[in-house]
Amino acid sequence: MADKKGKYPTEPLKCWDKAKKIREDYYRNYAAAHDKGGLRWAGGAWTFDAIPAGLGDDVYPITSEPYGASCAYDKKFSLRCLEATEKAGYARDLCAYMRNYWGSILLNEFAFGGPFPKPDFLWQDHICCSHAKWYQVVSELEHGIPHYSIDVAVGPESEINPNKIDYIVGQMHDGIEFLEKTTGRKYQDNLLIKAVKNTCRATSTWAKVCELNKTVPAPLDEKSMYSLYVLGTIQKSSQAVADFYEELLKEVQDRVARGIAATPNERCRVMSDTQPPWGFLSVFRYLEKFGTVSIGSLYTFGLIGAWEVAPDGQWVHRKTPMETGVSINDRDKALRVLTEWELHKPEWQHFYSPHLKSEMMIRIAKQWKLDGVMLHYNRGCEGLSLGIAENRLALLKAGFPVMVFEGNMGDEREFDMTRTMSRIDSFMETLGMKKEFD
Amino acid sequence: MITAGIDMGAKTIKVVLLEDGKKIRAKAKELGGTDTKAAGEKAFNAALFQAGLKMAEVSHITSTGAGAAGAPYARDKITEVGADAKGAVFLHPAARTVIDVGAEEGKTLRCDAHGKVIDFAVNEKCAAGAGSFMESMARALEVKLEELGPLALQSSGTIPMNAQCAVFAESEVVTLVHQKHSKMDIAKAVHDAIGDRITSMVRKVGFEPDVVLIGGVSKNPAFVETMRRNLQVDVKVLDDPEFVGALGAAIVAAENAGVK
Amino acid sequence: MKELEVFREWKKNRHEYARDWQKRTGGKVMGYFCTYVPEEILYAAGVLPVRVLGSHEPQNVTEPHIFAMFCPFCRDCLAQGLKGRYKYLDGLMIAQSCLHIRQAYTSWVKHVPVPFSYYLCMPHKVQSKRAYPFLRGELEAFKKAVEKWTGKEISDKALTDAIAVYNENRRLMRELYDLRKAPEPPISGEEAMEITMAQQMTDKKEHNEALRKLLAALPKRKRDRPAGTRLMIIGSEDDDLDFLHMVESLNKEQYPATFVIDEHCTGSRYFWNDVPEDTDKLMAIARRYIERPPCPTKDWEERRRIPHMLKLAKDFGVQGAIVMQQKFCDPHELDTVAIRKELEKKGIKTLFLEFDVTVPIGQFRIRVEAFLETIKQDDLF
Repeated sequence: MADKKGKYPTEPLKCWDKAKKIREDYYRNYAAAHDKGGLRWAGGAWTFDAIPAGLGDDVYPITSEPYGASCAYDKKFSLRCLEATEKAGYARDLCAYMRNYWGSILLNEFAFGGPFPKPDFLWQDHICCSHAKWYQVVSELEHGIPHYSIDVAVGPESEINPNKIDYIVGQMHDGIEFLEKTTGRKYQDNLLIKAVKNTCRATSTWAKVCELNKTVPAPLDEKSMYSLYVLGTIQKSSQAVADFYEELLKEVQDRVARGIAATPNERCRVMSDTQPPWGFLSVFRYLEKFGTVSIGSLYTFGLIGAWEVAPDGQWVHRKTPMETGVSINDRDKALRVLTEWELHKPEWQHFYSPHLKSEMMIRIAKQWKLDGVMLHYNRGCEGLSLGIAENRLALLKAGFPVMVFEGNMGDEREFDMTRTMSRIDSFMETLGMKKEFD
Repeated sequence: MITAGIDMGAKTIKVVLLEDGKKIRAKAKELGGTDTKAAGEKAFNAALFQAGLKMAEVSHITSTGAGAAGAPYARDKITEVGADAKGAVFLHPAARTVIDVGAEEGKTLRCDAHGKVIDFAVNEKCAAGAGSFMESMARALEVKLEELGPLALQSSGTIPMNAQCAVFAESEVVTLVHQKHSKMDIAKAVHDAIGDRITSMVRKVGFEPDVVLIGGVSKNPAFVETMRRNLQVDVKVLDDPEFVGALGAAIVAAENAGVK
Repeated sequence: MKELEVFREWKKNRHEYARDWQKRTGGKVMGYFCTYVPEEILYAAGVLPVRVLGSHEPQNVTEPHIFAMFCPFCRDCLAQGLKGRYKYLDGLMIAQSCLHIRQAYTSWVKHVPVPFSYYLCMPHKVQSKRAYPFLRGELEAFKKAVEKWTGKEISDKALTDAIAVYNENRRLMRELYDLRKAPEPPISGEEAMEITMAQQMTDKKEHNEALRKLLAALPKRKRDRPAGTRLMIIGSEDDDLDFLHMVESLNKEQYPATFVIDEHCTGSRYFWNDVPEDTDKLMAIARRYIERPPCPTKDWEERRRIPHMLKLAKDFGVQGAIVMQQKFCDPHELDTVAIRKELEKKGIKTLFLEFDVTVPIGQFRIRVEAFLETIKQDDLF
């Protein structure tokens, strides 16, 4: 079954269609939530989605950034959304996901067909300046929706202490009161506990999958990983996503055992950073012509993945509470476990210092055996581009060639494909890679 | 053995003919216009005529430049960054930093003694254009482009001008004109602003002597002076700086053809 | 007027002032980036807090460190550090608010050595009761760090005294601002901004003394031009004195105008509310910072900035508001649409201008004059 056109055999992923279906079902369920008396809500990809899960089995979320990215894939639709938002008076340098999302509301067009389904409540986290205010505006655009956001900006993982955890857990308890009051439903702690365990399982397993890309040749390439990690950004607290990641892990382990590669002529390994320009993912296919594969990035690994540094210094998946013998018996414990788990999120650390991110990036570059780094100076996201210039300096100092390209993950007007390809050509030249594969 | 480099630049097409990878036999240039392929052919013929050579005598042709893919006659391509490095080190063997400021784009690179690129950066969105910005400033001040530099050199004043956004800077010039500042002082402010933008980019990659300036804007003495002042090193300007890219391509053509 | 001169001198010679203060008192100077820094704790430790502001000069040194899409202010601030203008600082700190300015701090501490640095996790959800114990805990840790740095304990008495000095400073500033409610305010917006800038860079005891002298002299002062149209500044961080000067020196027959009040971070937001009474001094300080007029990064889920702004507009008889938007500042861009809508509803016209390190003052003049004309026309009907 393996294709051997190049140095290594390749094979498409078997679970690809299942991933697609999970995503399609997700958006369909959100839109159809009211049909059988269910609820729907909106929040960011980092929101504690495990908590509204305690309201019942018929509660369907939509997360903002993946939805914004979905809009961005369709360049024509995205442009209409962006222009609608600008017409309403909002600046062009604001988060591109947010502008796509607001535009979708203003146009009253859902990216997956039909009118934009209004959520029953808004449940968000806040660490980047835009987060809670995104939904402040959403509520205004929709003439008032109950809105609750949780401030998680309490400092880096090395400084976690009871005071910080209490702050977040306290907000969570208050939030559950808000949910009960807003929905009129009684909260079910057992559903919360299940959802928290799913969150830990899903994010830890995703990290296990990413670890496998330390292999040469890499079994996965970053472009494919985008379609897989997205499930963790839409509903990491769901059983479907946690189960899927375990299935994916088995398949990727099999690929590693059989030496199946993502890129048939892999001879040069790089990583990227920040969100890719969603309307222009062909940039990754272009790399294949040079025999180059992007094995992932801190973004792909750590946006939802849960990681820790093992005693031998290797970056590995974080062990779940279930694996370390931590029992979760009540609401407060569930919330504490969830808080501590998420505070270790790799992509939350650079908000306090870019140098923490540089450390992680250098570790990836070393352990995933990289020849270079491609940084997307992403004008569409100030949160993930925060400190990126310092990351570049640190990577260069550590001896890794770095290429920079400017763009925008969700506003195609700010991405110059030709110029970017030309930069890639120059960069590949400096790495000694000729463009010689189809 | 004769090899050729053709630089399909944003505004002009440049051709260099090189003998045995060592001796420059001809340099020709043509305005690109709307039919860049035809312009390229014209430039090629002009170069051949200059050197007294025929097309059949050229062993290998490499293209470079923004329009490299559409170059006539070329067998392969090399990026502008790569070409600049090769050409600069050929002309000035001690070159380790090359700053190329052209009509539309500015770039900087660091290289080794063999002209191999170590790191590079290109003008980012917020500091668009250098050459074409100079042109519009010259128009705003009602002087010829070649007069802008010498005009600036006559001033010793410092009027702060927005160094990041070319659009903002242009409206600032309009204000300065209305405020009755002298043309010399405004011209200097324009150079300081462009100098700051290019210097910012150079600092990103870092610089090592010898620092060499190429591209059309390097012919502007006030700009060179600004860069010397900002970087606090002696910045070398190469003769015929516009041809460095085509020369670099011709050198690569020679390497690909087996010379050296 | 000499009572005003002192503030202008302080603002102009901020570095000399700080160095001189170090010599005079033997105390340490702490540079800071955001007005959520709990200055009372520093002051109680004998430390002079000075806010780091930019110099409005184009520069070419921050590109390797901060991506150009981040606000000009944060890059201007970092440039000051990279250029060695703050060599005398004994410490540098930031209280968590917006993302952009954080980069000035994180790049500075890496590339420009400072003996002591601190990142304070000021909570964003100031609207939650949970913020109080959280901030108090963070202040406790901060206080310990400062004690370690200065080598001496900060007593409750020291905190009480520091709070008293700061509250007095705030009271005097509000008294000063009250004078601007008059039909003919005795100071211009430009002069008020010089006073607030100086406030952020000097020993509050000295600023208090200068304020008292000024308040004594002001009742006799009459400006040489009519107040004209009463304007309000709404902004991000803003210290664009040149712009204020331009607006307030337009032709006094055709376009008289005065900034009578502001709602921005280098202005009234800095000093508007006091530290309340509380035997637990750290909790009192926490309460003050949680309950102060919010920076947009902390103004959610409800919009509390707007009612505060509308009240200011009403109390000061504002006719027009100029939104001085710092280029690329996301938090303010997120608020601007709602703010303008509410102001216009109350009959207050708004003008939106985008600011960079340097501005096209000529273009701005044309827009301001047109703006003032539309307000005048409205008044005629």
